[in-house]
Amino acid sequence: MALAAAMLVAAGLLCLAGCGGQDAGQKEGGSASANANANANGTGTLRVGVRADVVGFGYFNERANNYYGLEIDLARELASRLGYADVEFVTVEPDTRKDMLLAGEVDCLVACYSITDTRTENFDFSPAYYHDRAVIMVENSSLITDVSDLENKTVGIMSGSNTGPLLAIKLQELGMISEIVENADEGTQYDGLYVKQVPSYAELSRELEEGTVDAAAMDGNITQTYIDEDRSILDLNIADQEYGVATQKGSALSQPVADAIQSMLDDGTIAALTEKWN
Amino acid sequence: MSRNLKIKAALLVAFAIASTVAMGFVLSAQQDGLSLESYRSDIEQEREALPGLLESAASETEQNTSTFDEIYRSKAETLRFMALHETGFEVTDAKMQEYRELLGVDNVLVVNRAGEILAQAQETPADFSYERYNQLRAVIGTDSASQAMEVTFAEAGRTLRYYAAPLPGDAMAVIEQDPVELDELVAETGSLASVLRTISVGQNGYVVAVSARDYLIQYHPDERLTGTDALVAGVDVTALEDGNHTWVTLDGERLYCGVSKIGDTYYLLAVPESDMAQSRNITVGVILFAFFSVLMTVILYGLFVMRDEEKRGFDPKNYRSLGPLRYNKAVGRKAIVLSFVGFLGVMLVTFYMQTLFSLSAESVSSSQRANDIAGTIQRTNEQADALTEQYDERYLSKAEAAAYILERDAGVQTKEGLQELADVLQVQYLYVFDGEGALQTTNSSYTNFALSDDPESQSYEFRQLLQGVEHVIQEPQPDDVSGELRQYIGVTLHDAEGNADGFVQLGIRSERLTNLLASVEIGRILDGVKVGANGFAFAVNRNDNTFAYYPQEQMEGRGVAEYGMAETQVKAGFNDYLAIDGTTYYASSVETGDYYVYIAQPADELMSERVPITLTTGISGLVCQIVVFFLLTLEPRRPRSVRARAGEAAGEDGEDGEAARMIDVTMPDGRVKKTESAVSRWLSTSMQWHEKSAEQRIGTVVKAIVAVFAIAVCLAVLFQDQIFGSDSVFAYILGGGWERGLNVFAVTACVMIACVVLTLTMIVRELLRMLSGVFGARGETMCRLVSSFIKYASIIGMLYYCLMVIGIDTTTLLASAGILSIAVSFGAKELVSDILSGLFIIFEGEFRVGDIIKVGSSTGTVMEIGVRTTKINDGSGNVIVLRNSDVSNVVNMTKDYSFATCEVGIEYAESLERVENILETEFPNIRRRLPAIQDGPFYKGIVALADNSVNIRIVAKCHESDRGQLERDLRREMKLIFDEYDISIPFPQVVVNQPREFREATLAEQLRAEQFNAEQKEAAKNVGNEDLPRQH
Repeated sequence: MALAAAMLVAAGLLCLAGCGGQDAGQKEGGSASANANANANGTGTLRVGVRADVVGFGYFNERANNYYGLEIDLARELASRLGYADVEFVTVEPDTRKDMLLAGEVDCLVACYSITDTRTENFDFSPAYYHDRAVIMVENSSLITDVSDLENKTVGIMSGSNTGPLLAIKLQELGMISEIVENADEGTQYDGLYVKQVPSYAELSRELEEGTVDAAAMDGNITQTYIDEDRSILDLNIADQEYGVATQKGSALSQPVADAIQSMLDDGTIAALTEKWN
Repeated sequence: MSRNLKIKAALLVAFAIASTVAMGFVLSAQQDGLSLESYRSDIEQEREALPGLLESAASETEQNTSTFDEIYRSKAETLRFMALHETGFEVTDAKMQEYRELLGVDNVLVVNRAGEILAQAQETPADFSYERYNQLRAVIGTDSASQAMEVTFAEAGRTLRYYAAPLPGDAMAVIEQDPVELDELVAETGSLASVLRTISVGQNGYVVAVSARDYLIQYHPDERLTGTDALVAGVDVTALEDGNHTWVTLDGERLYCGVSKIGDTYYLLAVPESDMAQSRNITVGVILFAFFSVLMTVILYGLFVMRDEEKRGFDPKNYRSLGPLRYNKAVGRKAIVLSFVGFLGVMLVTFYMQTLFSLSAESVSSSQRANDIAGTIQRTNEQADALTEQYDERYLSKAEAAAYILERDAGVQTKEGLQELADVLQVQYLYVFDGEGALQTTNSSYTNFALSDDPESQSYEFRQLLQGVEHVIQEPQPDDVSGELRQYIGVTLHDAEGNADGFVQLGIRSERLTNLLASVEIGRILDGVKVGANGFAFAVNRNDNTFAYYPQEQMEGRGVAEYGMAETQVKAGFNDYLAIDGTTYYASSVETGDYYVYIAQPADELMSERVPITLTTGISGLVCQIVVFFLLTLEPRRPRSVRARAGEAAGEDGEDGEAARMIDVTMPDGRVKKTESAVSRWLSTSMQWHEKSAEQRIGTVVKAIVAVFAIAVCLAVLFQDQIFGSDSVFAYILGGGWERGLNVFAVTACVMIACVVLTLTMIVRELLRMLSGVFGARGETMCRLVSSFIKYASIIGMLYYCLMVIGIDTTTLLASAGILSIAVSFGAKELVSDILSGLFIIFEGEFRVGDIIKVGSSTGTVMEIGVRTTKINDGSGNVIVLRNSDVSNVVNMTKDYSFATCEVGIEYAESLERVENILETEFPNIRRRLPAIQDGPFYKGIVALADNSVNIRIVAKCHESDRGQLERDLRREMKLIFDEYDISIPFPQVVVNQPREFREATLAEQLRAEQFNAEQKEAAKNVGNEDLPRQH
């Protein structure tokens, strides 16, 4: 299972490379804003950055060569409301999504991208379309039942996700940690906790299974993919996560996207989609 | 054809097509509706049952897992026990390997609190220092083993289960085991697949499990699809709502699904559309064909009659005015009969098709179901065997561990010590026997025991252990006292030199094994089986014909005959109705082990679809017939001029088209009907269409329809596999898996065979007919002969086969026919030959009712051809009853015209020329006076120069029925003409003389005469005596 998921991610990456190439060619013709102008005629393609490994949100099925999930449906609806003729999905990783959006490889991100203060400085966000919380998942056999048991343990996070900083803030609030001892690409050593960066959720789940990490912190919706009867979620809300559609700062798309999402919130489209994929 | 008639025809045909199409839609919709309704109730039933099944599977899995874990925990505890006792426990890799063999596990390790491995039998992928293993390490310092934990090592591709037991000091014994046995067991008994594959919905329906999380198919009967994305396979995500009944496309197959969401999984209880469509298409197709045929027959017949009428001209007698319309009585009378018969026919066809298809579908699905059950029984048996073996091995391993401990630490050999060991090994009793077979120590209360010398005794088997056998595993046997299943396993004990010295025996009372063995019982397997709404399964013991399982418990163990089942119904492959305890079921059976398993469904339920569909067909058919009837018989009154013209046109038509081969005959009841002349019947060239009467035309049309049907059925039979697939209902009927007897399948098979044979015969005969045209007269003769031979051979062959299909044993029939013929030759020979002759008269078409025939000296009109006799009306009201066997040398005089003949004699003296001149002038007058003459009279010349007269012959053409009277009339005319012209007819003359008185003889004369006589006699005594033979 973990192996399959890993392969899936690999496939996603491959696709990413391919799509990137295409984008590069396309960029010479017109940028995101040019695309935005094109939408008046009901033509053009909206390039949306989506996740490929979060079931129910953005999931790429190799067999069908297609994406499924709430965010996929949402992106399609968004494109049609904005007047685009077509949607192109581009797989993004928490690591890469920021840069891809900045580089204009995608017009917007609908990729479990939570609205945070730091992100709003760089990007424009639509109103939140999904409310979630970041949580910690542990193996039952580790006998960890409370966050205090995590003292001096290893917590894995998906590299590039904002769960790491949020976790640090939360644990700081709880008084478990106070300072960073050492910060590296592989992880951050706090006094009293090591936060390990793992390249994918599948990998993270595997490490949790084999015991190389003692706990895994991630968004609640993602735990749904990996939880089983031998695992539990600790009773701790690291932070509320609000997912929004991100666009380039000051892009011509920002306002139409925000309006479209707001209208979808108002007319119950999002509620219906959430219900459908729940 | 007039314009009006054309319009009418177009209108009628359009209506027939429209109503057939409409009917098609209505029927399909209704059939679909009914099937859906029944499927829905089926689905609902399964839906209700599903949570229970899943739950029991889950509890089964839980139980299996906990049993599995208990065993390995007990092994871990055994290690602890050995460490605590003087059994030579050492923390070394070599010792661990020894323990691994003894306990039969994958790996044995000793790990300290920090997670460092102190000793191991082999390398492990686990790093016990991780927090992940806290659960194991938590046992250190306690006195009982840990719960199991399972870790998947993705890189090594292994999943391992861990059990730990505390050891003295700061360490623990860890047992590492690949749970493949458990996984297999769970896959077999508790997995989704094991639950779902036993569920069948409708006939060929199944259950598909789709994860609600990622929409991956978790179970599909087609393994190819398991693990793929349901959405990709075509499932619409909106269909996946709990409680939905909807159409879903999955992998290109349309399914009618009931959706049930249990936990995080959607269960689609699906019935393939093809299930529905197959029976629907054929049923509706055949019904529509019948419906359309009947409608068209009525319409065409009406049109033919009207066309004939048009030709003959307008006959006001045939019409009745109804306001602005007029009603055509001639058409109406006949159309109403055809309509009514057709209507009944369509109803019959509908009912028949419904019966056929619900029964055959039921048979197919029941047989499948029965086979499934047989498969389940076999699987359960195999599983039970495998599990028993597994259990034996496990307990043997325990016994060996016990022996290992007891050999090393004699201190355990006390009641308390054994009790402790028994607890660790999780067995009920431990018995230690000495070298003599006497019980030394036990933890049970039953202490004074020695092995029996009686080979019949249960304990005798264990004597082998004293004679060099290493272990004995006894079959579980019911305990003498409590009746519980109890199993004993013994392992030899060795002394310090390694010689056998007594043995240790385990006494187990395994509930799991008891449960398992019970689950193999037929009743347990059949208990949950549901078929349709009220169907069920039951089993009959093959050996004594008793019910081995029946839903009503009191019937179990009772003879089947007691409840009305016949001996012949107790067999494998049974597929028919049977009555049990007064209720009729439709049942299918299959053989499995000692039982026949039957799947039974109440007969009345099966047929619930039949009535509404038949009613719909009937009512809509009736409405259509009524509309057609009025369209046919009513027409607007036409202006006079048009009518006149129609008449004229018809007159012209009549000249060339008048049926030369068709003649009128009078039926016994006085009606005049058209029939084909006798000669025409045996002409091989078919009649021209325009020569035929309306009845013959409609006959041709019906023949064509039947031919189309026969060819269609023939093609379907010949190419059944390509058209229907091998498991279809059609294949079932042709496959002959049903009971021989007078049932709907047999009848259908007969119809099918008849269609095939008729089609083939038709083709061959048609070929021969074409060939006969090529060859000369000899070829023609041969072809006719072969053709006739083929006809009879195919009919006889077909009859023979059909009889066989219907279940009449034809060989005995033929044999008994031989016996019968002996009986017949004594008494009833005449009767039989009459009956056979009657059959041949009808088969060969020697004559028909209404024909004029001559048999021997009797001539007359055929009134009736009976089974034994033929009745002929001789024209004067006398009915001649002829035995059919006497009807030979028949002259069929049904021809278009006969000739009345009249011969007259003329005197030799008369001038022939004068007479001929007179005849020439008088013939037209005769014709005028005698309307029966169709043509002539003709003068045929001189027949004979007779003794006293010259005989001339006059003939006139007339109808056969008029011939006698016309001949008499002709003679009269001739006499009158001859009188008028003084032509004398010679006749023999007699001369009459006046009588006179005779005188009497005197006495003397009398005497002389006497004397003369006597003299003469004497004189001529030897002369001229021809009467007597000559003497010399």
